[in-house]
Amino acid sequence: MFLVEKRYRDVIYYKAQVHLRSEASKTYLSFLWWAFEPIISMAIYYVVFGLIFQRGTEDFIPFLLIGLVTWQWFANTVSHCCNSINNNLALISQLNFPKIILPSINVVMDTFKFLIVFLLLIIFLWAYGFAPTIAYLALPLVLLTQHLFNVSIANTVAAIVPFVPDMQIIISNLLRIAMYLSGILYSIEQLPEQYHIYFAFNPMVMIIDAYRDILMHQQWPQFQQLGIFALVSFIGVVLSTLLMKKMDPIYARVLMQK
Amino acid sequence: MTRDKISSAETSDPELNDPKKNDAVLTLENVGVTYKSGLPIFRQRSVHEALKDISFELNHGDSLGIIGRNGVGKSTLLRILNGIIKPDKGKIINHGYNTALLSLTVGYDNNVSGRNNAILSGMLMGKTKEEMIASMPDIIEFSELEEFIDHPVKNYSTGMKQRLGFAVATQVKTDVLLIDEILAVGDARFKKKSEAVMRKKILSGDTVVLVSHNAKTITSLCNKAVWIENGVVREQGDPDKVIKVYEEYITK
Repeated sequence: MFLVEKRYRDVIYYKAQVHLRSEASKTYLSFLWWAFEPIISMAIYYVVFGLIFQRGTEDFIPFLLIGLVTWQWFANTVSHCCNSINNNLALISQLNFPKIILPSINVVMDTFKFLIVFLLLIIFLWAYGFAPTIAYLALPLVLLTQHLFNVSIANTVAAIVPFVPDMQIIISNLLRIAMYLSGILYSIEQLPEQYHIYFAFNPMVMIIDAYRDILMHQQWPQFQQLGIFALVSFIGVVLSTLLMKKMDPIYARVLMQK
Repeated sequence: MTRDKISSAETSDPELNDPKKNDAVLTLENVGVTYKSGLPIFRQRSVHEALKDISFELNHGDSLGIIGRNGVGKSTLLRILNGIIKPDKGKIINHGYNTALLSLTVGYDNNVSGRNNAILSGMLMGKTKEEMIASMPDIIEFSELEEFIDHPVKNYSTGMKQRLGFAVATQVKTDVLLIDEILAVGDARFKKKSEAVMRKKILSGDTVVLVSHNAKTITSLCNKAVWIENGVVREQGDPDKVIKVYEEYITK
Protein backbone atom coordinates (compact mmCIF):
# COMPACT_ATOMS: atom_id res chain seq x y z
CA MET A 1 0.00 0.00 0.00
CA PHE A 2 2.85 2.33 0.92
CA LEU A 3 4.39 1.56 -2.47
CA VAL A 4 1.50 3.24 -4.26
CA GLU A 5 1.23 6.98 -4.98
CA LYS A 6 -0.98 9.00 -2.64
CA ARG A 7 -3.63 9.80 -5.28
CA TYR A 8 -4.00 6.12 -6.14
CA ARG A 9 -4.13 5.19 -2.46
CA ASP A 10 -7.12 7.52 -2.22
CA VAL A 11 -8.73 5.69 -5.12
CA ILE A 12 -8.20 2.35 -3.36
CA TYR A 13 -9.83 3.46 -0.11
CA TYR A 14 -12.67 5.30 -1.81
CA LYS A 15 -13.47 2.43 -4.14
CA ALA A 16 -13.31 -0.11 -1.31
CA GLN A 17 -15.66 2.06 0.74
CA VAL A 18 -18.09 2.48 -2.15
CA HIS A 19 -18.08 -1.25 -2.89
CA LEU A 20 -18.64 -2.19 0.74
CA ARG A 21 -21.56 0.18 0.90
CA SER A 22 -23.10 -1.09 -2.31
CA GLU A 23 -22.63 -4.69 -1.15
CA ALA A 24 -24.40 -3.89 2.10
CA SER A 25 -27.25 -2.11 0.34
CA LYS A 26 -28.11 -5.19 -1.71
CA THR A 27 -29.54 -7.28 1.14
CA TYR A 28 -32.08 -6.67 3.92
CA LEU A 29 -29.62 -7.55 6.66
CA SER A 30 -26.97 -5.48 4.87
CA PHE A 31 -23.63 -5.38 6.72
CA LEU A 32 -24.83 -7.83 9.36
CA TRP A 33 -24.05 -10.54 6.80
CA TRP A 34 -20.36 -9.76 7.20
CA ALA A 35 -20.70 -11.19 10.71
CA PHE A 36 -23.42 -13.81 10.08
CA GLU A 37 -21.72 -15.50 7.18
CA PRO A 38 -18.54 -16.43 9.04
CA ILE A 39 -20.60 -17.39 12.10
CA ILE A 40 -22.63 -19.84 10.01
CA SER A 41 -19.57 -21.44 8.48
CA MET A 42 -17.95 -21.70 11.91
CA ALA A 43 -21.06 -23.37 13.29
CA ILE A 44 -20.93 -25.95 10.49
CA TYR A 45 -17.30 -26.81 11.17
CA TYR A 46 -18.01 -27.00 14.89
CA VAL A 47 -20.91 -29.40 14.42
CA VAL A 48 -19.06 -31.60 11.93
CA PHE A 49 -15.63 -31.75 13.53
CA GLY A 50 -16.38 -30.96 17.16
CA LEU A 51 -19.60 -32.86 17.77
CA ILE A 52 -19.98 -35.53 15.08
CA PHE A 53 -16.38 -36.64 14.63
CA GLN A 54 -15.34 -35.76 18.17
CA ARG A 55 -12.02 -34.45 16.89
CA GLY A 56 -12.09 -31.81 19.56
CA THR A 57 -9.04 -30.93 21.60
CA GLU A 58 -9.35 -29.17 24.93
CA ASP A 59 -11.23 -25.88 24.53
CA PHE A 60 -12.15 -26.86 21.01
CA ILE A 61 -14.47 -23.94 20.31
CA PRO A 62 -11.91 -21.15 20.84
CA PHE A 63 -9.26 -23.29 19.21
CA LEU A 64 -11.40 -23.73 16.09
CA LEU A 65 -12.67 -20.16 15.95
CA ILE A 66 -9.24 -18.53 16.13
CA GLY A 67 -7.99 -20.76 13.35
CA LEU A 68 -11.04 -20.29 11.15
CA VAL A 69 -11.38 -16.52 11.49
CA THR A 70 -7.75 -15.83 10.65
CA TRP A 71 -7.66 -18.48 7.91
CA GLN A 72 -10.75 -16.97 6.28
CA TRP A 73 -9.03 -13.60 6.15
CA PHE A 74 -6.21 -15.12 4.15
CA ALA A 75 -8.39 -17.36 1.96
CA ASN A 76 -10.95 -14.65 1.13
CA THR A 77 -8.29 -12.13 0.24
CA VAL A 78 -6.48 -14.53 -2.08
CA SER A 79 -9.57 -15.91 -3.79
CA HIS A 80 -11.06 -12.45 -4.35
CA CYS A 81 -7.81 -11.16 -5.79
CA CYS A 82 -7.73 -13.96 -8.40
CA ASN A 83 -10.19 -12.05 -10.55
CA SER A 84 -9.46 -8.49 -9.58
CA ILE A 85 -7.78 -7.76 -12.92
CA ASN A 86 -9.99 -9.96 -15.11
CA ASN A 87 -13.13 -8.30 -13.78
CA ASN A 88 -12.03 -4.81 -14.73
CA LEU A 89 -11.57 -5.03 -18.48
CA ALA A 90 -13.63 -1.88 -19.13
CA LEU A 91 -11.50 0.19 -16.79
CA ILE A 92 -8.17 -1.24 -17.89
CA SER A 93 -8.83 -0.84 -21.60
CA GLN A 94 -9.79 2.82 -21.26
CA LEU A 95 -7.65 4.26 -18.51
CA ASN A 96 -3.96 4.14 -17.81
CA PHE A 97 -3.45 3.52 -14.11
CA PRO A 98 -1.32 1.21 -11.97
CA LYS A 99 -3.09 -2.15 -11.91
CA ILE A 100 -1.87 -2.78 -8.36
CA ILE A 101 -4.90 -0.71 -7.32
CA LEU A 102 -7.26 -3.51 -8.27
CA PRO A 103 -6.12 -6.29 -5.93
CA SER A 104 -5.48 -3.66 -3.26
CA ILE A 105 -9.18 -2.76 -3.27
CA ASN A 106 -10.06 -6.39 -2.52
CA VAL A 107 -7.41 -6.51 0.18
CA VAL A 108 -8.86 -3.44 1.90
CA MET A 109 -12.42 -4.79 1.69
CA ASP A 110 -11.55 -8.21 3.05
CA THR A 111 -9.38 -6.76 5.78
CA PHE A 112 -12.18 -4.47 6.88
CA LYS A 113 -14.64 -7.35 7.07
CA PHE A 114 -12.07 -9.47 8.90
CA LEU A 115 -11.51 -6.79 11.52
CA ILE A 116 -15.22 -6.79 12.36
CA VAL A 117 -15.25 -10.56 12.78
CA PHE A 118 -11.99 -10.48 14.69
CA LEU A 119 -13.42 -7.97 17.13
CA LEU A 120 -16.42 -10.25 17.66
CA LEU A 121 -14.02 -13.12 18.24
CA ILE A 122 -12.17 -11.19 20.96
CA ILE A 123 -15.46 -10.37 22.65
CA PHE A 124 -16.54 -14.00 22.43
CA LEU A 125 -13.24 -15.22 23.89
CA TRP A 126 -13.61 -12.83 26.78
CA ALA A 127 -17.12 -14.08 27.47
CA TYR A 128 -15.86 -17.66 27.20
CA GLY A 129 -13.30 -17.03 29.91
CA PHE A 130 -10.15 -15.90 28.14
CA ALA A 131 -9.73 -12.34 29.34
CA PRO A 132 -7.15 -10.08 27.66
CA THR A 133 -3.65 -10.37 29.05
CA ILE A 134 -0.43 -8.45 28.58
CA ALA A 135 0.30 -10.77 25.63
CA TYR A 136 -2.38 -8.91 23.66
CA LEU A 137 0.25 -6.24 23.10
CA ALA A 138 1.84 -8.58 20.55
CA LEU A 139 -1.40 -8.85 18.60
CA PRO A 140 -0.72 -5.92 16.22
CA LEU A 141 2.57 -7.53 15.24
CA VAL A 142 0.87 -10.83 14.39
CA LEU A 143 -1.90 -9.03 12.49
CA LEU A 144 0.64 -7.00 10.54
CA THR A 145 2.66 -10.10 9.71
CA GLN A 146 -0.39 -11.89 8.39
CA HIS A 147 -1.44 -8.80 6.48
CA LEU A 148 1.94 -8.62 4.74
CA PHE A 149 1.71 -12.32 3.95
CA ASN A 150 -1.83 -11.92 2.58
CA VAL A 151 -0.81 -8.99 0.39
CA SER A 152 2.24 -10.71 -1.05
CA ILE A 153 0.23 -13.80 -2.05
CA ALA A 154 -2.77 -11.77 -3.23
CA ASN A 155 -0.64 -9.53 -5.48
CA THR A 156 1.17 -12.49 -6.96
CA VAL A 157 -2.07 -14.33 -7.67
CA ALA A 158 -3.67 -11.22 -9.19
CA ALA A 159 -0.61 -10.70 -11.39
CA ILE A 160 -0.53 -14.25 -12.75
CA VAL A 161 -4.18 -15.26 -13.24
CA PRO A 162 -4.79 -12.99 -16.29
CA PHE A 163 -2.00 -14.82 -18.14
CA VAL A 164 -2.86 -18.33 -16.99
CA PRO A 165 -6.64 -18.54 -16.42
CA ASP A 166 -6.26 -22.14 -15.20
CA MET A 167 -4.50 -20.81 -12.12
CA GLN A 168 -7.81 -19.64 -10.75
CA ILE A 169 -9.14 -23.19 -10.50
CA ILE A 170 -5.82 -24.44 -9.19
CA ILE A 171 -5.73 -21.75 -6.52
CA SER A 172 -9.25 -22.35 -5.25
CA ASN A 173 -8.42 -26.05 -4.86
CA LEU A 174 -5.06 -25.35 -3.29
CA LEU A 175 -6.78 -23.11 -0.75
CA ARG A 176 -9.19 -25.91 0.12
CA ILE A 177 -6.35 -28.38 0.62
CA ALA A 178 -4.24 -25.87 2.52
CA MET A 179 -7.07 -25.27 4.95
CA TYR A 180 -6.92 -28.88 6.09
CA LEU A 181 -3.14 -28.68 6.34
CA SER A 182 -3.04 -25.57 8.47
CA GLY A 183 -4.05 -27.09 11.78
CA ILE A 184 -7.35 -25.27 11.95
CA LEU A 185 -9.68 -28.18 12.63
CA TYR A 186 -7.28 -30.30 14.63
CA SER A 187 -4.15 -29.75 16.62
CA ILE A 188 -0.97 -30.74 14.82
CA GLU A 189 0.37 -32.17 18.08
CA GLN A 190 -2.21 -34.93 17.76
CA LEU A 191 -0.52 -36.18 14.61
CA PRO A 192 2.39 -38.67 14.64
CA GLU A 193 5.74 -37.00 15.24
CA GLN A 194 7.17 -37.79 11.79
CA TYR A 195 4.62 -35.53 10.04
CA HIS A 196 5.33 -32.43 12.10
CA ILE A 197 8.22 -31.41 9.89
CA TYR A 198 5.86 -30.85 6.93
CA PHE A 199 3.76 -28.43 8.88
CA ALA A 200 6.79 -26.43 9.88
CA PHE A 201 6.95 -25.13 6.30
CA ASN A 202 3.35 -23.92 6.28
CA PRO A 203 3.36 -20.21 7.11
CA MET A 204 -0.30 -20.22 8.13
CA VAL A 205 0.36 -22.87 10.78
CA MET A 206 2.87 -20.54 12.36
CA ILE A 207 0.59 -17.52 12.17
CA ILE A 208 -2.39 -19.35 13.61
CA ASP A 209 -0.22 -20.74 16.40
CA ALA A 210 0.88 -17.21 17.22
CA TYR A 211 -2.76 -16.10 17.50
CA ARG A 212 -3.55 -19.09 19.73
CA ASP A 213 -0.54 -18.40 21.93
CA ILE A 214 -1.78 -14.89 22.56
CA LEU A 215 -5.52 -15.39 22.70
CA MET A 216 -5.80 -18.83 24.33
CA HIS A 217 -2.57 -19.78 26.05
CA GLN A 218 -2.00 -16.27 27.35
CA GLN A 219 1.66 -16.29 26.42
CA TRP A 220 3.90 -14.30 24.09
CA PRO A 221 4.22 -15.63 20.54
CA GLN A 222 7.62 -16.75 19.26
CA PHE A 223 8.98 -13.38 18.33
CA GLN A 224 12.04 -14.53 16.46
CA GLN A 225 10.09 -16.82 14.15
CA LEU A 226 7.42 -14.16 13.68
CA GLY A 227 9.99 -11.44 12.96
CA ILE A 228 11.73 -13.50 10.28
CA PHE A 229 8.40 -14.35 8.70
CA ALA A 230 7.30 -10.70 8.76
CA LEU A 231 10.52 -9.72 7.02
CA VAL A 232 10.16 -12.43 4.36
CA SER A 233 6.53 -11.39 3.78
CA PHE A 234 7.57 -7.78 3.48
CA ILE A 235 10.10 -8.69 0.81
CA GLY A 236 7.31 -10.67 -0.84
CA VAL A 237 5.10 -7.57 -0.89
CA VAL A 238 7.85 -5.47 -2.47
CA LEU A 239 8.67 -8.11 -5.08
CA SER A 240 5.05 -8.79 -6.00
CA THR A 241 4.40 -5.05 -6.33
CA LEU A 242 7.42 -4.69 -8.59
CA LEU A 243 6.25 -7.68 -10.62
CA MET A 244 2.94 -5.99 -11.16
CA LYS A 245 4.54 -2.68 -12.03
CA LYS A 246 6.73 -4.40 -14.58
CA MET A 247 3.80 -6.12 -16.25
CA ASP A 248 1.49 -3.12 -16.00
CA PRO A 249 1.23 -2.24 -19.72
CA ILE A 250 0.73 -5.87 -20.72
CA TYR A 251 -2.60 -6.41 -18.93
CA ALA A 252 -4.70 -4.18 -21.20
CA ARG A 253 -3.60 -6.26 -24.15
CA VAL A 254 -3.96 -9.61 -22.43
CA LEU A 255 -7.56 -8.81 -21.53
CA MET A 256 -8.44 -7.28 -24.89
CA GLN A 257 -7.04 -10.22 -26.80
CA LYS A 258 -9.05 -12.85 -24.98
CA MET B 1 -7.66 27.93 -41.05
CA THR B 2 -8.18 27.16 -37.38
CA ARG B 3 -4.62 28.02 -36.72
CA ASP B 4 -5.29 31.60 -37.90
CA LYS B 5 -8.17 31.79 -35.51
CA ILE B 6 -5.91 30.73 -32.67
CA SER B 7 -3.05 33.05 -33.51
CA SER B 8 -5.32 36.04 -33.72
CA ALA B 9 -6.43 35.31 -30.18
CA GLU B 10 -2.87 34.91 -29.00
CA THR B 11 -2.39 38.43 -27.72
CA SER B 12 -5.39 38.25 -25.45
CA ASP B 13 -4.86 34.75 -24.07
CA PRO B 14 -1.72 34.44 -21.93
CA GLU B 15 -1.83 30.66 -22.06
CA LEU B 16 -1.01 30.73 -25.72
CA ASN B 17 2.13 32.77 -25.31
CA ASP B 18 3.82 30.08 -23.27
CA PRO B 19 7.41 29.35 -24.29
CA LYS B 20 6.74 25.65 -24.67
CA LYS B 21 4.63 26.25 -27.75
CA ASN B 22 5.60 23.97 -30.62
CA ASP B 23 7.80 21.77 -28.43
CA ALA B 24 7.35 18.09 -29.16
CA VAL B 25 4.91 16.43 -26.77
CA LEU B 26 4.52 12.95 -28.22
CA THR B 27 6.54 11.39 -31.00
CA LEU B 28 5.55 8.20 -32.78
CA GLU B 29 8.12 6.38 -34.86
CA ASN B 30 7.00 3.52 -37.10
CA VAL B 31 4.55 2.26 -34.51
CA GLY B 32 2.88 -1.09 -35.15
CA VAL B 33 0.41 -3.05 -33.04
CA THR B 34 -0.57 -6.66 -33.57
CA TYR B 35 -3.38 -8.27 -31.61
CA LYS B 36 -3.19 -11.99 -31.07
CA SER B 37 -6.28 -13.71 -29.81
CA GLY B 38 -6.48 -16.95 -27.89
CA LEU B 39 -4.20 -18.21 -25.16
CA PRO B 40 -0.56 -17.32 -25.78
CA ILE B 41 1.97 -19.89 -27.05
CA PHE B 42 -0.10 -23.09 -27.07
CA ARG B 43 -3.48 -21.97 -28.30
CA GLN B 44 -2.80 -19.00 -30.53
CA ARG B 45 -5.65 -18.53 -32.95
CA SER B 46 -5.86 -15.41 -35.04
CA VAL B 47 -3.50 -12.53 -35.51
CA HIS B 48 -4.73 -9.09 -36.42
CA GLU B 49 -2.47 -6.22 -37.35
CA ALA B 50 -4.32 -3.15 -36.10
CA LEU B 51 -1.55 -0.66 -36.84
CA LYS B 52 1.35 -1.28 -39.19
CA ASP B 53 3.49 1.78 -39.53
CA ILE B 54 2.46 5.05 -37.91
CA SER B 55 4.75 8.03 -37.51
CA PHE B 56 3.84 11.55 -36.54
CA GLU B 57 4.63 14.17 -33.98
CA LEU B 58 2.33 16.06 -31.66
CA ASN B 59 3.55 19.49 -30.63
CA HIS B 60 2.57 21.68 -27.72
CA GLY B 61 -0.62 23.62 -28.49
CA ASP B 62 -1.56 21.38 -31.39
CA SER B 63 -5.01 20.10 -31.96
CA LEU B 64 -4.46 17.06 -34.07
CA GLY B 65 -7.30 15.32 -35.82
CA ILE B 66 -7.09 11.64 -36.65
CA ILE B 67 -9.43 10.55 -39.38
CA GLY B 68 -10.15 7.17 -40.89
CA ARG B 69 -12.95 4.73 -41.52
CA ASN B 70 -14.31 2.49 -38.78
CA GLY B 71 -11.96 -0.26 -37.68
CA VAL B 72 -8.71 1.15 -39.01
CA GLY B 73 -7.15 1.26 -35.58
CA LYS B 74 -8.02 4.76 -34.37
CA SER B 75 -8.96 3.61 -30.88
CA THR B 76 -5.84 1.48 -30.71
CA LEU B 77 -3.83 4.56 -31.62
CA LEU B 78 -5.41 6.53 -28.78
CA ARG B 79 -4.57 3.72 -26.37
CA ILE B 80 -0.98 3.85 -27.58
CA LEU B 81 -0.85 7.62 -27.07
CA ASN B 82 -2.27 7.24 -23.57
CA GLY B 83 0.14 4.44 -22.69
CA ILE B 84 -2.58 1.90 -21.97
CA ILE B 85 -0.85 -0.48 -24.38
CA LYS B 86 2.67 -0.54 -25.72
CA PRO B 87 3.48 -0.93 -29.44
CA ASP B 88 4.93 -4.19 -30.78
CA LYS B 89 7.00 -2.36 -33.36
CA GLY B 90 8.56 1.07 -33.43
CA LYS B 91 8.41 3.41 -30.46
CA ILE B 92 6.44 6.16 -28.83
CA ILE B 93 8.28 8.91 -27.01
CA ASN B 94 6.41 10.90 -24.40
CA HIS B 95 8.41 14.06 -23.69
CA GLY B 96 7.21 14.19 -20.10
CA TYR B 97 3.54 15.11 -20.36
CA ASN B 98 0.41 13.71 -18.76
CA THR B 99 -2.23 12.43 -21.11
CA ALA B 100 -5.87 11.64 -20.41
CA LEU B 101 -8.12 9.60 -22.64
CA LEU B 102 -11.64 10.93 -22.56
CA SER B 103 -14.16 8.33 -23.38
CA LEU B 104 -17.63 8.07 -22.02
CA THR B 105 -18.66 5.68 -19.26
CA VAL B 106 -15.17 4.69 -18.29
CA GLY B 107 -15.57 1.49 -16.35
CA TYR B 108 -18.72 2.43 -14.51
CA ASP B 109 -19.72 0.11 -11.72
CA ASN B 110 -23.38 -0.70 -12.29
CA ASN B 111 -24.32 -1.21 -8.66
CA VAL B 112 -22.83 2.07 -7.54
CA SER B 113 -24.56 5.45 -7.73
CA GLY B 114 -23.80 7.94 -10.47
CA ARG B 115 -22.30 10.28 -7.92
CA ASN B 116 -19.79 7.75 -6.63
CA ASN B 117 -18.96 6.61 -10.14
CA ALA B 118 -18.33 10.19 -11.22
CA ILE B 119 -16.03 10.83 -8.26
CA LEU B 120 -14.13 7.59 -8.86
CA SER B 121 -13.73 8.13 -12.55
CA GLY B 122 -12.52 11.69 -11.99
CA MET B 123 -10.04 10.44 -9.40
CA LEU B 124 -8.66 7.91 -11.85
CA MET B 125 -8.22 10.70 -14.38
CA GLY B 126 -6.10 12.68 -11.98
CA LYS B 127 -8.45 14.76 -9.83
CA THR B 128 -8.49 14.52 -6.06
CA LYS B 129 -11.53 13.33 -4.17
CA GLU B 130 -12.08 16.78 -2.67
CA GLU B 131 -11.93 18.44 -6.09
CA MET B 132 -14.44 15.98 -7.46
CA ILE B 133 -16.80 16.44 -4.52
CA ALA B 134 -16.53 20.21 -4.99
CA SER B 135 -17.35 19.95 -8.68
CA MET B 136 -20.30 17.60 -8.19
CA PRO B 137 -22.90 20.43 -8.36
CA ASP B 138 -21.49 21.43 -11.76
CA ILE B 139 -21.50 17.84 -12.93
CA ILE B 140 -25.10 17.31 -11.82
CA GLU B 141 -26.18 20.51 -13.46
CA PHE B 142 -24.36 19.84 -16.70
CA SER B 143 -25.46 16.21 -16.97
CA GLU B 144 -29.07 17.16 -16.09
CA LEU B 145 -29.35 14.01 -13.98
CA GLU B 146 -30.90 15.71 -10.95
CA GLU B 147 -32.04 13.18 -8.35
CA PHE B 148 -30.89 10.29 -10.56
CA ILE B 149 -27.33 11.09 -9.56
CA ASP B 150 -27.83 9.01 -6.40
CA HIS B 151 -29.41 6.07 -8.20
CA PRO B 152 -27.29 3.09 -9.19
CA VAL B 153 -25.90 3.41 -12.72
CA LYS B 154 -27.64 0.20 -13.80
CA ASN B 155 -30.92 2.17 -13.80
CA TYR B 156 -29.52 4.73 -16.25
CA SER B 157 -30.32 4.92 -19.92
CA THR B 158 -27.41 4.97 -22.38
CA GLY B 159 -27.94 8.68 -22.86
CA MET B 160 -27.81 9.35 -19.13
CA LYS B 161 -24.57 7.44 -18.79
CA GLN B 162 -23.06 9.37 -21.67
CA ARG B 163 -24.18 12.68 -20.25
CA LEU B 164 -22.60 11.84 -16.91
CA GLY B 165 -19.43 10.66 -18.64
CA PHE B 166 -19.26 13.86 -20.61
CA ALA B 167 -19.86 16.03 -17.56
CA VAL B 168 -16.99 14.30 -15.75
CA ALA B 169 -14.76 14.63 -18.82
CA THR B 170 -15.24 18.39 -18.88
CA GLN B 171 -13.73 18.55 -15.37
CA VAL B 172 -10.50 16.81 -16.25
CA LYS B 173 -7.39 18.95 -16.62
CA THR B 174 -4.35 17.47 -18.24
CA ASP B 175 -1.43 18.34 -20.54
CA VAL B 176 -2.75 16.35 -23.46
CA LEU B 177 -6.38 15.53 -24.00
CA LEU B 178 -7.18 12.48 -26.11
CA ILE B 179 -10.76 12.54 -27.33
CA ASP B 180 -12.55 9.59 -28.85
CA GLU B 181 -15.53 10.91 -30.86
CA ILE B 182 -17.41 12.29 -27.92
CA LEU B 183 -17.84 15.79 -29.18
CA ALA B 184 -21.56 15.47 -29.17
CA VAL B 185 -23.66 13.04 -27.18
CA GLY B 186 -27.24 12.76 -26.03
CA ASP B 187 -30.29 14.37 -27.60
CA ALA B 188 -30.20 17.37 -29.93
CA ARG B 189 -30.19 19.94 -27.15
CA PHE B 190 -27.51 18.26 -25.10
CA LYS B 191 -25.51 17.67 -28.27
CA LYS B 192 -25.37 21.39 -28.88
CA LYS B 193 -24.31 22.09 -25.31
CA SER B 194 -21.62 19.41 -25.21
CA GLU B 195 -20.26 20.38 -28.59
CA ALA B 196 -19.88 23.98 -27.45
CA VAL B 197 -17.95 22.95 -24.34
CA MET B 198 -15.60 20.66 -26.22
CA ARG B 199 -15.07 23.24 -28.91
CA LYS B 200 -14.10 25.78 -26.28
CA LYS B 201 -11.73 23.35 -24.66
CA ILE B 202 -10.05 22.51 -27.96
CA LEU B 203 -9.79 26.08 -29.23
CA SER B 204 -8.47 27.42 -25.92
CA GLY B 205 -5.00 26.28 -26.93
CA ASP B 206 -4.87 22.98 -25.03
CA THR B 207 -2.98 20.19 -26.70
CA VAL B 208 -5.59 17.84 -28.06
CA VAL B 209 -5.77 14.70 -30.14
CA LEU B 210 -9.20 14.15 -31.60
CA VAL B 211 -10.34 10.97 -33.28
CA SER B 212 -13.28 11.21 -35.61
CA HIS B 213 -14.71 9.92 -38.84
CA ASN B 214 -16.47 13.21 -39.37
CA ALA B 215 -14.50 15.39 -41.78
CA LYS B 216 -16.26 18.57 -40.73
CA THR B 217 -15.30 18.19 -37.07
CA ILE B 218 -11.65 17.88 -38.04
CA THR B 219 -11.48 20.83 -40.42
CA SER B 220 -13.25 23.15 -38.01
CA LEU B 221 -11.33 22.21 -34.86
CA CYS B 222 -7.86 21.02 -35.80
CA ASN B 223 -4.69 22.61 -37.06
CA LYS B 224 -3.18 19.28 -38.13
CA ALA B 225 -4.68 16.09 -39.43
CA VAL B 226 -3.57 12.53 -39.91
CA TRP B 227 -5.44 10.11 -42.14
CA ILE B 228 -5.04 6.44 -41.28
CA GLU B 229 -5.98 3.66 -43.65
CA ASN B 230 -5.03 -0.01 -43.37
CA GLY B 231 -2.82 0.68 -40.38
CA VAL B 232 -0.56 3.19 -42.11
CA VAL B 233 -0.55 6.99 -42.35
CA ARG B 234 -1.85 7.82 -45.81
CA GLU B 235 -1.62 11.57 -45.53
CA GLN B 236 -0.79 14.13 -42.87
CA GLY B 237 -0.45 17.85 -42.45
CA ASP B 238 -2.90 20.66 -43.17
CA PRO B 239 -6.45 19.49 -42.31
CA ASP B 240 -8.07 20.89 -45.46
CA LYS B 241 -5.58 19.11 -47.68
CA VAL B 242 -5.80 15.81 -45.74
CA ILE B 243 -9.59 15.86 -45.65
CA LYS B 244 -9.73 16.56 -49.37
CA VAL B 245 -7.72 13.45 -50.28
CA TYR B 246 -9.57 11.41 -47.69
CA GLU B 247 -12.94 12.37 -49.10
CA GLU B 248 -11.81 11.69 -52.62
CA TYR B 249 -10.72 8.25 -51.45
CA ILE B 250 -13.93 7.26 -49.67
CA THR B 251 -16.33 8.55 -52.34
CA LYS B 252 -14.41 6.76 -55.06
